[in-house]
Amino acid sequence: MNRTLAALAAIIGFLLWAHLASGVPVFDSQVESEPGWERFRVEYGINYFGEDGQFVRAVQNGYNLFFHTHKYATRFTRKRAGDGVNSCSGCHTAKELAYSFVNSDRFDPKFGRRLSFEDRVRWCYAASVDGFVPTVYDPAVRDVRLLARAVAHHLQLSEGALQHKD
Amino acid sequence: MLKLVGRLAALAVPLLSLGGLYFYALHKHEQREEFRHAAVTLTPNCIAKLGRYALTAGNEYESPYMLKRTGMRIALRGYSDEDVRAIERGCNIVDDTQGRLAQDPDLERWNARRFIRGAHANCDHCHRDLGDKQDAAGNRQKGTLHLGASWVMADMYDRFTGLLLPYELRQMQCYINASNGYKPNIADDVIRDVTAYTRFLSAALDMKIGNHYEEQGIDEINASETMKQGDDYIRGELLYKHKCQHCHGQQAIGQEVNGQLVAPALAGPNAWNSQSRNNFYFVSTVLAGFICRNMPPGQENSLDNQQCRDIAFYISNLPRPAGDKQGPLVAVQQQLLMRVMPPLLRLTESSASKKASERPLELGHAPLENGAKARLEDGE
Repeated sequence: MNRTLAALAAIIGFLLWAHLASGVPVFDSQVESEPGWERFRVEYGINYFGEDGQFVRAVQNGYNLFFHTHKYATRFTRKRAGDGVNSCSGCHTAKELAYSFVNSDRFDPKFGRRLSFEDRVRWCYAASVDGFVPTVYDPAVRDVRLLARAVAHHLQLSEGALQHKD
Repeated sequence: MLKLVGRLAALAVPLLSLGGLYFYALHKHEQREEFRHAAVTLTPNCIAKLGRYALTAGNEYESPYMLKRTGMRIALRGYSDEDVRAIERGCNIVDDTQGRLAQDPDLERWNARRFIRGAHANCDHCHRDLGDKQDAAGNRQKGTLHLGASWVMADMYDRFTGLLLPYELRQMQCYINASNGYKPNIADDVIRDVTAYTRFLSAALDMKIGNHYEEQGIDEINASETMKQGDDYIRGELLYKHKCQHCHGQQAIGQEVNGQLVAPALAGPNAWNSQSRNNFYFVSTVLAGFICRNMPPGQENSLDNQQCRDIAFYISNLPRPAGDKQGPLVAVQQQLLMRVMPPLLRLTESSASKKASERPLELGHAPLENGAKARLEDGE
Protein backbone atom coordinates (compact mmCIF):
# COMPACT_ATOMS: atom_id res chain seq x y z
CA MET A 1 0.00 0.00 0.00
CA ASN A 2 2.75 2.40 1.00
CA ARG A 3 4.70 1.50 -2.13
CA THR A 4 1.66 2.18 -4.31
CA LEU A 5 1.13 5.56 -2.70
CA ALA A 6 4.81 6.40 -3.07
CA ALA A 7 4.75 5.44 -6.76
CA LEU A 8 1.62 7.53 -7.31
CA ALA A 9 3.17 10.49 -5.54
CA ALA A 10 6.32 10.12 -7.63
CA ILE A 11 4.32 10.10 -10.87
CA ILE A 12 2.27 13.13 -9.84
CA GLY A 13 5.42 14.90 -8.67
CA PHE A 14 7.13 14.17 -11.98
CA LEU A 15 4.17 15.45 -13.98
CA LEU A 16 3.99 18.67 -11.95
CA TRP A 17 7.72 19.20 -12.26
CA ALA A 18 7.73 18.41 -15.98
CA HIS A 19 4.92 20.80 -16.83
CA LEU A 20 5.55 23.60 -14.37
CA ALA A 21 9.21 23.68 -13.54
CA SER A 22 11.35 21.64 -15.93
CA GLY A 23 11.43 24.11 -18.81
CA VAL A 24 11.74 21.17 -21.24
CA PRO A 25 10.05 22.36 -24.47
CA VAL A 26 8.12 19.13 -25.05
CA PHE A 27 6.18 19.71 -21.80
CA ASP A 28 5.68 23.40 -22.33
CA SER A 29 4.50 24.88 -25.60
CA GLN A 30 5.69 28.38 -24.67
CA VAL A 31 8.36 29.57 -27.04
CA GLU A 32 11.37 31.42 -25.74
CA SER A 33 11.36 35.07 -26.76
CA GLU A 34 14.61 35.95 -28.48
CA PRO A 35 15.88 39.51 -28.95
CA GLY A 36 14.23 41.14 -31.93
CA TRP A 37 11.04 39.03 -31.85
CA GLU A 38 8.81 41.82 -30.52
CA ARG A 39 10.07 44.20 -33.21
CA PHE A 40 9.63 41.48 -35.85
CA ARG A 41 6.07 40.72 -34.82
CA VAL A 42 5.14 44.41 -35.11
CA GLU A 43 7.07 44.91 -38.35
CA TYR A 44 5.43 41.90 -40.03
CA GLY A 45 1.99 42.24 -38.47
CA ILE A 46 2.02 38.82 -36.80
CA ASN A 47 -0.76 40.00 -34.46
CA TYR A 48 -3.14 39.55 -37.40
CA PHE A 49 -3.09 35.87 -36.40
CA GLY A 50 -3.67 36.67 -32.73
CA GLU A 51 -1.53 37.84 -29.83
CA ASP A 52 -0.89 34.24 -28.89
CA GLY A 53 -2.03 30.86 -30.17
CA GLN A 54 -0.77 27.67 -31.78
CA PHE A 55 -0.05 29.37 -35.10
CA VAL A 56 1.65 32.40 -33.53
CA ARG A 57 3.82 30.20 -31.32
CA ALA A 58 4.83 28.16 -34.35
CA VAL A 59 5.70 31.38 -36.21
CA GLN A 60 7.76 32.49 -33.20
CA ASN A 61 9.53 29.15 -33.20
CA GLY A 62 10.10 29.65 -36.92
CA TYR A 63 11.60 33.04 -36.12
CA ASN A 64 13.94 31.43 -33.57
CA LEU A 65 14.92 28.72 -36.04
CA PHE A 66 15.51 31.23 -38.80
CA PHE A 67 17.51 33.81 -36.84
CA HIS A 68 19.11 31.55 -34.21
CA THR A 69 19.47 28.26 -36.06
CA HIS A 70 22.53 27.14 -34.11
CA LYS A 71 20.56 27.42 -30.86
CA TYR A 72 17.16 26.02 -31.88
CA ALA A 73 18.04 23.41 -34.51
CA THR A 74 20.99 21.84 -32.75
CA ARG A 75 20.01 18.41 -34.03
CA PHE A 76 20.20 19.56 -37.63
CA THR A 77 23.28 21.76 -37.76
CA ARG A 78 26.89 21.50 -36.72
CA LYS A 79 27.20 25.28 -36.59
CA ARG A 80 27.85 26.83 -33.20
CA ALA A 81 27.52 30.33 -31.75
CA GLY A 82 31.10 31.21 -32.67
CA ASP A 83 30.74 30.33 -36.35
CA GLY A 84 30.38 33.12 -38.88
CA VAL A 85 27.24 32.09 -40.75
CA ASN A 86 25.33 30.02 -38.23
CA SER A 87 21.71 30.73 -39.09
CA CYS A 88 19.35 30.88 -42.04
CA SER A 89 19.35 34.67 -41.70
CA GLY A 90 23.07 34.63 -42.54
CA CYS A 91 22.08 34.05 -46.20
CA HIS A 92 18.38 35.02 -46.46
CA THR A 93 16.07 37.78 -45.28
CA ALA A 94 12.55 37.07 -44.00
CA LYS A 95 11.20 38.76 -47.12
CA GLU A 96 13.22 36.46 -49.38
CA LEU A 97 11.91 33.51 -47.41
CA ALA A 98 8.33 34.58 -48.12
CA TYR A 99 8.99 35.00 -51.84
CA SER A 100 10.68 31.63 -51.87
CA PHE A 101 7.58 30.10 -50.28
CA VAL A 102 5.16 31.45 -52.89
CA ASN A 103 7.50 30.31 -55.66
CA SER A 104 8.08 26.83 -54.31
CA ASP A 105 6.80 23.49 -55.60
CA ARG A 106 8.29 24.22 -59.01
CA PHE A 107 10.55 22.23 -61.28
CA ASP A 108 14.25 22.77 -60.58
CA PRO A 109 16.46 21.90 -63.57
CA LYS A 110 19.45 21.54 -61.25
CA PHE A 111 17.84 18.63 -59.43
CA GLY A 112 15.73 17.44 -62.35
CA ARG A 113 12.55 17.36 -60.27
CA ARG A 114 9.96 19.53 -58.63
CA LEU A 115 11.07 20.84 -55.24
CA SER A 116 8.75 21.80 -52.43
CA PHE A 117 9.53 24.54 -49.91
CA GLU A 118 10.22 21.81 -47.36
CA ASP A 119 12.71 20.17 -49.72
CA ARG A 120 14.58 23.49 -49.93
CA VAL A 121 14.63 23.95 -46.15
CA ARG A 122 15.90 20.41 -45.65
CA TRP A 123 18.56 21.02 -48.27
CA CYS A 124 19.68 24.14 -46.38
CA TYR A 125 20.00 22.14 -43.15
CA ALA A 126 22.12 19.54 -44.89
CA ALA A 127 24.31 21.81 -47.01
CA SER A 128 24.33 25.45 -45.93
CA VAL A 129 24.44 24.95 -42.17
CA ASP A 130 26.49 21.78 -42.45
CA GLY A 131 24.09 19.47 -40.68
CA PHE A 132 21.49 16.75 -41.05
CA VAL A 133 18.16 16.39 -42.82
CA PRO A 134 14.99 16.65 -40.71
CA THR A 135 11.81 14.86 -41.75
CA VAL A 136 9.14 16.86 -43.58
CA TYR A 137 6.93 16.74 -40.48
CA ASP A 138 9.57 18.08 -38.10
CA PRO A 139 8.76 21.44 -36.48
CA ALA A 140 12.24 22.53 -37.61
CA VAL A 141 10.84 22.46 -41.14
CA ARG A 142 7.15 23.13 -40.55
CA ASP A 143 7.68 26.26 -38.44
CA VAL A 144 9.97 27.81 -41.04
CA ARG A 145 7.14 27.35 -43.56
CA LEU A 146 4.70 28.97 -41.13
CA LEU A 147 7.08 31.88 -40.63
CA ALA A 148 7.29 32.28 -44.41
CA ARG A 149 3.50 32.11 -44.64
CA ALA A 150 3.04 34.81 -41.98
CA VAL A 151 5.52 37.12 -43.71
CA ALA A 152 3.93 36.40 -47.11
CA HIS A 153 0.58 37.39 -45.65
CA HIS A 154 1.99 40.67 -44.36
CA LEU A 155 3.50 41.40 -47.78
CA GLN A 156 0.19 40.34 -49.38
CA LEU A 157 1.90 37.99 -51.77
CA SER A 158 0.02 35.69 -54.09
CA GLU A 159 1.30 32.49 -55.64
CA GLY A 160 4.19 33.10 -58.00
CA ALA A 161 4.72 36.73 -56.90
CA LEU A 162 7.92 38.09 -58.40
CA GLN A 163 10.42 39.84 -56.18
CA HIS A 164 11.63 43.00 -57.83
CA LYS A 165 15.06 44.25 -56.87
CA ASP A 166 14.80 47.52 -54.94
CA MET B 1 26.60 -32.59 -51.13
CA LEU B 2 22.82 -32.56 -50.86
CA LYS B 3 23.12 -30.70 -47.58
CA LEU B 4 25.25 -28.03 -49.23
CA VAL B 5 22.76 -27.62 -52.08
CA GLY B 6 19.98 -27.32 -49.52
CA ARG B 7 21.86 -24.63 -47.61
CA LEU B 8 22.65 -22.71 -50.78
CA ALA B 9 19.02 -22.91 -51.85
CA ALA B 10 17.89 -21.68 -48.42
CA LEU B 11 20.20 -18.68 -48.88
CA ALA B 12 19.43 -18.09 -52.55
CA VAL B 13 15.62 -18.11 -52.34
CA PRO B 14 15.24 -15.14 -49.94
CA LEU B 15 18.07 -13.27 -51.70
CA LEU B 16 16.43 -13.77 -55.10
CA SER B 17 13.05 -12.77 -53.69
CA LEU B 18 14.48 -9.57 -52.21
CA GLY B 19 16.37 -8.87 -55.42
CA GLY B 20 13.19 -9.43 -57.41
CA LEU B 21 11.31 -6.99 -55.21
CA TYR B 22 14.11 -4.46 -55.55
CA PHE B 23 14.09 -4.63 -59.34
CA TYR B 24 10.29 -4.51 -59.39
CA ALA B 25 10.43 -1.32 -57.30
CA LEU B 26 13.04 0.12 -59.68
CA HIS B 27 10.81 -0.69 -62.63
CA LYS B 28 7.86 1.02 -60.95
CA HIS B 29 9.96 4.10 -60.19
CA GLU B 30 11.08 4.28 -63.81
CA GLN B 31 7.52 3.87 -64.99
CA ARG B 32 6.45 6.80 -62.76
CA GLU B 33 9.35 8.94 -63.95
CA GLU B 34 8.44 8.25 -67.57
CA PHE B 35 4.87 9.17 -66.86
CA ARG B 36 5.93 12.46 -65.24
CA HIS B 37 7.49 13.39 -68.57
CA ALA B 38 4.59 12.23 -70.72
CA ALA B 39 1.94 14.55 -72.18
CA VAL B 40 -1.25 14.66 -70.13
CA THR B 41 -4.65 13.81 -71.56
CA LEU B 42 -7.01 16.23 -69.84
CA THR B 43 -10.59 15.49 -68.91
CA PRO B 44 -13.17 17.68 -70.70
CA ASN B 45 -13.80 19.69 -67.52
CA CYS B 46 -10.08 20.31 -67.04
CA ILE B 47 -9.69 21.40 -70.66
CA ALA B 48 -12.36 24.02 -70.00
CA LYS B 49 -11.03 25.10 -66.59
CA LEU B 50 -7.34 25.31 -67.41
CA GLY B 51 -8.05 26.76 -70.86
CA ARG B 52 -10.05 29.53 -69.24
CA TYR B 53 -7.08 30.43 -67.07
CA ALA B 54 -4.68 30.16 -70.03
CA LEU B 55 -2.27 27.72 -68.43
CA THR B 56 0.76 27.41 -70.70
CA ALA B 57 4.48 27.09 -70.11
CA GLY B 58 6.45 30.33 -70.13
CA ASN B 59 8.61 32.69 -68.11
CA GLU B 60 5.69 34.74 -66.87
CA TYR B 61 2.06 33.99 -66.19
CA GLU B 62 -0.79 36.49 -66.53
CA SER B 63 -4.28 35.46 -65.52
CA PRO B 64 -6.96 36.36 -68.08
CA TYR B 65 -9.51 36.10 -65.26
CA MET B 66 -7.82 38.90 -63.30
CA LEU B 67 -7.36 40.97 -66.44
CA LYS B 68 -11.05 40.70 -67.18
CA ARG B 69 -12.14 41.36 -63.58
CA THR B 70 -9.78 44.17 -62.67
CA GLY B 71 -8.39 45.39 -65.97
CA MET B 72 -4.91 44.93 -64.50
CA ARG B 73 -2.11 42.81 -65.90
CA ILE B 74 -0.58 40.92 -62.99
CA ALA B 75 2.70 39.28 -63.94
CA LEU B 76 3.52 36.19 -61.89
CA ARG B 77 6.22 33.62 -62.21
CA GLY B 78 5.62 31.39 -65.21
CA TYR B 79 5.46 27.64 -65.30
CA SER B 80 7.87 25.17 -66.84
CA ASP B 81 6.63 22.24 -68.92
CA GLU B 82 7.04 19.96 -65.90
CA ASP B 83 5.01 22.32 -63.71
CA VAL B 84 2.24 22.53 -66.31
CA ARG B 85 2.02 18.75 -66.51
CA ALA B 86 1.83 18.49 -62.70
CA ILE B 87 -1.01 21.03 -62.62
CA GLU B 88 -2.83 19.19 -65.40
CA ARG B 89 -2.49 15.85 -63.64
CA GLY B 90 -3.70 17.46 -60.40
CA CYS B 91 -6.77 18.83 -62.18
CA ASN B 92 -7.49 15.39 -63.62
CA ILE B 93 -7.30 13.83 -60.15
CA VAL B 94 -9.71 16.39 -58.70
CA ASP B 95 -12.14 15.90 -61.59
CA ASP B 96 -11.83 12.15 -61.96
CA THR B 97 -10.25 10.68 -58.83
CA GLN B 98 -11.47 7.18 -59.61
CA GLY B 99 -10.02 7.31 -63.13
CA ARG B 100 -13.31 6.56 -64.89
CA LEU B 101 -12.24 8.73 -67.83
CA ALA B 102 -8.66 7.46 -67.95
CA GLN B 103 -7.30 4.78 -70.24
CA ASP B 104 -4.96 3.57 -67.50
CA PRO B 105 -6.50 4.78 -64.20
CA ASP B 106 -3.66 3.44 -62.09
CA LEU B 107 -0.98 5.37 -63.91
CA GLU B 108 -2.90 8.41 -65.07
CA ARG B 109 -4.35 9.14 -61.62
CA TRP B 110 -1.32 7.89 -59.69
CA ASN B 111 -3.43 5.01 -58.50
CA ALA B 112 -5.58 7.30 -56.34
CA ARG B 113 -8.14 4.49 -56.17
CA ARG B 114 -5.89 2.55 -53.84
CA PHE B 115 -6.49 5.22 -51.18
CA ILE B 116 -10.29 5.05 -51.51
CA ARG B 117 -12.46 2.14 -50.38
CA GLY B 118 -15.66 3.03 -52.24
CA ALA B 119 -16.29 3.36 -55.96
CA HIS B 120 -17.90 6.80 -55.90
CA ALA B 121 -15.68 9.26 -54.00
CA ASN B 122 -14.30 12.07 -56.13
CA CYS B 123 -12.66 15.32 -54.93
CA ASP B 124 -15.03 17.25 -57.18
CA HIS B 125 -18.10 16.00 -55.31
CA CYS B 126 -17.34 18.27 -52.38
CA HIS B 127 -14.92 20.75 -54.00
CA ARG B 128 -17.47 21.91 -56.52
CA ASP B 129 -16.60 22.60 -60.15
CA LEU B 130 -13.04 21.37 -59.79
CA GLY B 131 -12.59 23.28 -56.56
CA ASP B 132 -13.44 26.60 -58.18
CA LYS B 133 -17.16 27.21 -58.42
CA GLN B 134 -18.29 30.41 -60.11
CA ASP B 135 -21.57 31.75 -61.40
CA ALA B 136 -22.10 32.73 -65.05
CA ALA B 137 -20.63 36.19 -64.37
CA GLY B 138 -17.45 34.67 -62.92
CA ASN B 139 -18.24 35.42 -59.26
CA ARG B 140 -16.81 32.82 -56.92
CA GLN B 141 -19.45 31.15 -54.79
CA LYS B 142 -19.56 31.26 -51.00
CA GLY B 143 -19.01 28.02 -49.07
CA THR B 144 -18.03 25.89 -52.06
CA LEU B 145 -14.81 24.44 -50.61
CA HIS B 146 -12.69 26.41 -53.04
CA LEU B 147 -9.30 24.75 -53.35
CA GLY B 148 -7.34 27.90 -54.14
CA ALA B 149 -8.82 29.72 -51.15
CA SER B 150 -8.06 26.69 -49.04
CA TRP B 151 -4.39 26.78 -50.05
CA VAL B 152 -3.87 30.42 -49.09
CA MET B 153 -5.43 29.76 -45.68
CA ALA B 154 -3.72 26.40 -45.06
CA ASP B 155 -1.43 25.47 -42.16
CA MET B 156 -3.74 26.91 -39.52
CA TYR B 157 -4.61 25.19 -36.25
CA ASP B 158 -7.21 22.47 -36.70
CA ARG B 159 -9.38 21.80 -33.68
CA PHE B 160 -10.36 18.29 -34.82
CA THR B 161 -6.85 16.95 -35.04
CA GLY B 162 -5.19 19.32 -32.57
CA LEU B 163 -2.54 20.03 -35.18
CA LEU B 164 -1.25 22.91 -37.19
CA LEU B 165 -2.55 21.18 -40.26
CA PRO B 166 -0.48 21.54 -43.42
CA TYR B 167 -2.32 21.44 -46.71
CA GLU B 168 -0.84 18.04 -47.56
CA LEU B 169 -2.07 16.49 -44.30
CA ARG B 170 -5.51 17.95 -44.90
CA GLN B 171 -5.60 16.07 -48.21
CA MET B 172 -4.68 12.90 -46.36
CA GLN B 173 -7.66 13.46 -44.06
CA CYS B 174 -9.92 13.68 -47.10
CA TYR B 175 -8.67 10.29 -48.23
CA ILE B 176 -9.14 8.75 -44.78
CA ASN B 177 -12.58 10.11 -43.86
CA ALA B 178 -14.38 11.75 -46.77
CA SER B 179 -13.26 8.91 -49.07
CA ASN B 180 -13.28 6.30 -46.31
CA GLY B 181 -9.84 5.11 -47.34
CA TYR B 182 -6.16 5.24 -46.56
CA LYS B 183 -3.64 8.05 -46.39
CA PRO B 184 -1.10 8.51 -49.14
CA ASN B 185 2.47 9.47 -48.32
CA ILE B 186 3.03 13.23 -48.08
CA ALA B 187 5.49 13.08 -50.99
CA ASP B 188 3.26 10.91 -53.21
CA ASP B 189 2.53 12.41 -56.64
CA VAL B 190 -1.16 12.11 -55.93
CA ILE B 191 -0.77 14.70 -53.14
CA ARG B 192 1.83 16.88 -54.82
CA ASP B 193 -0.02 17.20 -58.12
CA VAL B 194 -3.24 18.21 -56.43
CA THR B 195 -1.25 20.77 -54.43
CA ALA B 196 0.26 22.07 -57.67
CA TYR B 197 -3.23 22.45 -59.18
CA THR B 198 -4.63 24.25 -56.14
CA ARG B 199 -1.65 26.60 -56.01
CA PHE B 200 -2.22 27.38 -59.67
CA LEU B 201 -5.88 28.18 -58.95
CA SER B 202 -4.87 30.63 -56.24
CA ALA B 203 -2.39 32.24 -58.67
CA ALA B 204 -4.98 32.50 -61.44
CA LEU B 205 -7.40 34.20 -59.03
CA ASP B 206 -4.65 36.32 -57.42
CA MET B 207 -5.51 35.15 -53.91
CA LYS B 208 -3.24 36.52 -51.21
CA ILE B 209 -1.55 34.22 -48.72
CA GLY B 210 -3.27 34.19 -45.32
CA ASN B 211 -6.37 36.10 -46.47
CA HIS B 212 -9.80 34.66 -45.85
CA TYR B 213 -12.12 34.36 -48.84
CA GLU B 214 -15.82 33.54 -48.56
CA GLU B 215 -15.57 30.62 -50.95
CA GLN B 216 -13.10 28.85 -48.66
CA GLY B 217 -14.45 25.82 -46.82
CA ILE B 218 -18.03 25.46 -45.75
CA ASP B 219 -20.47 28.18 -44.83
CA GLU B 220 -21.35 26.28 -41.66
CA ILE B 221 -24.88 26.48 -40.29
CA ASN B 222 -25.35 26.48 -36.55
CA ALA B 223 -28.64 25.76 -34.81
CA SER B 224 -28.61 29.40 -33.71
CA GLU B 225 -29.03 30.40 -37.36
CA THR B 226 -32.40 28.66 -37.52
CA MET B 227 -35.80 29.29 -35.96
CA LYS B 228 -34.77 26.66 -33.39
CA GLN B 229 -37.55 24.25 -34.23
CA GLY B 230 -35.12 21.47 -33.45
CA ASP B 231 -33.40 19.29 -36.04
CA ASP B 232 -35.84 16.64 -37.14
CA TYR B 233 -34.85 13.64 -39.21
CA ILE B 234 -38.45 12.81 -40.15
CA ARG B 235 -38.82 16.26 -41.66
CA GLY B 236 -35.41 15.66 -43.18
CA GLU B 237 -36.54 12.39 -44.72
CA LEU B 238 -39.50 14.05 -46.40
CA LEU B 239 -37.27 16.83 -47.73
CA TYR B 240 -34.73 14.27 -48.90
CA LYS B 241 -37.40 12.45 -50.89
CA HIS B 242 -38.44 15.65 -52.62
CA LYS B 243 -35.12 17.35 -53.10
CA CYS B 244 -32.38 14.74 -53.20
CA GLN B 245 -33.79 11.32 -53.97
CA HIS B 246 -34.11 11.94 -57.70
CA CYS B 247 -30.34 11.91 -58.04
CA HIS B 248 -28.98 10.17 -54.96
CA GLY B 249 -31.51 7.34 -54.93
CA GLN B 250 -34.14 6.18 -52.49
CA GLN B 251 -31.64 4.95 -49.91
CA ALA B 252 -29.00 7.56 -50.67
CA ILE B 253 -26.56 4.98 -51.96
CA GLY B 254 -25.95 6.93 -55.16
CA GLN B 255 -26.89 6.23 -58.73
CA GLU B 256 -25.03 4.90 -61.71
CA VAL B 257 -26.59 4.87 -65.16
CA ASN B 258 -24.88 2.90 -67.92
CA GLY B 259 -21.72 2.67 -65.85
CA GLN B 260 -21.61 6.45 -65.40
CA LEU B 261 -21.96 7.96 -61.96
CA VAL B 262 -25.00 10.24 -61.89
CA ALA B 263 -24.81 11.14 -58.21
CA PRO B 264 -22.50 9.85 -55.45
CA ALA B 265 -23.53 7.82 -52.43
CA LEU B 266 -24.45 9.76 -49.30
CA ALA B 267 -24.74 6.54 -47.28
CA GLY B 268 -23.70 2.93 -47.58
CA PRO B 269 -20.30 1.46 -48.42
CA ASN B 270 -19.42 4.07 -51.08
CA ALA B 271 -20.05 7.07 -48.86
CA TRP B 272 -17.89 9.00 -46.38
CA ASN B 273 -17.34 7.35 -43.04
CA SER B 274 -18.85 8.35 -39.73
CA GLN B 275 -15.71 10.18 -38.62
CA SER B 276 -15.86 12.49 -41.57
CA ARG B 277 -16.77 16.08 -40.75
CA ASN B 278 -19.76 15.52 -43.03
CA ASN B 279 -21.32 13.35 -40.36
CA PHE B 280 -23.95 15.39 -38.52
CA TYR B 281 -23.27 13.52 -35.27
CA PHE B 282 -19.60 14.47 -35.42
CA VAL B 283 -19.96 18.10 -36.58
CA SER B 284 -23.53 19.24 -37.04
CA THR B 285 -22.77 22.38 -39.02
CA VAL B 286 -20.72 21.16 -41.98
CA LEU B 287 -23.03 18.99 -44.08
CA ALA B 288 -25.90 21.40 -43.52
CA GLY B 289 -23.73 24.25 -44.81
CA PHE B 290 -22.67 22.24 -47.82
CA ILE B 291 -26.28 21.38 -48.69
CA CYS B 292 -27.49 24.97 -48.38
CA ARG B 293 -24.78 26.44 -50.60
CA ASN B 294 -24.38 23.66 -53.15
CA MET B 295 -27.52 21.56 -53.42
CA PRO B 296 -29.59 20.73 -55.36
CA PRO B 297 -27.46 21.52 -58.43
CA GLY B 298 -29.01 24.42 -60.29
CA GLN B 299 -31.11 25.39 -57.26
CA GLU B 300 -28.33 26.33 -54.85
CA ASN B 301 -29.26 28.55 -51.90
CA SER B 302 -32.93 27.61 -52.31
CA LEU B 303 -33.22 25.67 -49.03
CA ASP B 304 -33.44 27.47 -45.71
CA ASN B 305 -31.09 26.79 -42.82
CA GLN B 306 -33.44 24.52 -40.91
CA GLN B 307 -34.21 22.45 -44.00
CA CYS B 308 -30.49 21.93 -44.63
CA ARG B 309 -29.95 20.82 -41.03
CA ASP B 310 -32.91 18.45 -41.22
CA ILE B 311 -31.64 16.83 -44.43
CA ALA B 312 -28.12 16.55 -43.00
CA PHE B 313 -29.51 14.96 -39.84
CA TYR B 314 -31.53 12.44 -41.85
CA ILE B 315 -28.62 11.51 -44.10
CA SER B 316 -26.33 11.02 -41.11
CA ASN B 317 -28.82 8.55 -39.64
CA LEU B 318 -28.32 6.22 -42.58
CA PRO B 319 -25.74 3.43 -42.22
CA ARG B 320 -22.23 4.16 -43.43
CA PRO B 321 -18.73 2.79 -42.80
CA ALA B 322 -17.24 3.29 -39.36
CA GLY B 323 -14.37 5.73 -38.95
CA ASP B 324 -10.79 4.57 -38.60
CA LYS B 325 -10.72 5.27 -34.86
CA GLN B 326 -14.07 3.75 -33.92
CA GLY B 327 -12.94 0.22 -33.34
CA PRO B 328 -14.03 -3.19 -34.62
CA LEU B 329 -17.40 -3.38 -32.85
CA VAL B 330 -18.73 -0.21 -34.46
CA ALA B 331 -17.25 -1.35 -37.78
CA VAL B 332 -19.09 -4.69 -37.58
CA GLN B 333 -22.32 -2.98 -36.55
CA GLN B 334 -22.13 -0.54 -39.46
CA GLN B 335 -21.22 -3.29 -41.95
CA LEU B 336 -24.20 -5.29 -40.77
CA LEU B 337 -26.53 -2.31 -41.08
CA MET B 338 -25.24 -1.50 -44.55
CA ARG B 339 -25.93 -5.04 -45.70
CA VAL B 340 -29.23 -5.69 -43.94
CA MET B 341 -30.94 -2.32 -44.21
CA PRO B 342 -31.07 -1.80 -47.99
CA PRO B 343 -32.98 -5.00 -48.88
CA LEU B 344 -35.31 -4.57 -45.91
CA LEU B 345 -36.02 -0.95 -46.76
CA ARG B 346 -36.51 -1.85 -50.41
CA LEU B 347 -39.26 -4.20 -49.35
CA THR B 348 -40.99 -1.89 -46.90
CA GLU B 349 -40.47 1.46 -48.57
CA SER B 350 -41.42 0.77 -52.14
CA SER B 351 -45.10 1.46 -51.58
CA ALA B 352 -44.68 4.01 -48.78
CA SER B 353 -42.23 6.19 -50.68
CA LYS B 354 -44.48 6.19 -53.72
CA LYS B 355 -47.21 7.75 -51.62
CA ALA B 356 -44.80 10.21 -50.00
CA SER B 357 -43.41 11.48 -53.29
CA GLU B 358 -46.91 11.97 -54.61
CA ARG B 359 -47.78 14.08 -51.56
CA PRO B 360 -47.03 17.81 -52.05
CA LEU B 361 -44.23 19.12 -49.85
CA GLU B 362 -45.61 21.33 -47.10
CA LEU B 363 -42.40 23.10 -46.20
CA GLY B 364 -42.52 26.02 -48.53
CA HIS B 365 -40.64 24.59 -51.51
CA ALA B 366 -41.90 22.91 -54.61
CA PRO B 367 -40.65 19.37 -55.28
CA LEU B 368 -38.22 18.79 -58.12
CA GLU B 369 -39.81 18.10 -61.44
CA ASN B 370 -40.47 14.45 -62.07
CA GLY B 371 -38.50 14.78 -65.29
CA ALA B 372 -35.23 15.61 -63.49
CA LYS B 373 -34.08 12.03 -63.20
CA ALA B 374 -35.05 11.23 -66.76
CA ARG B 375 -32.97 14.18 -67.97
CA LEU B 376 -30.00 13.00 -65.96
CA GLU B 377 -30.34 9.56 -67.44
CA ASP B 378 -30.36 11.12 -70.86
CA GLY B 379 -27.01 12.65 -69.99
CA GLU B 380 -28.16 16.27 -69.96
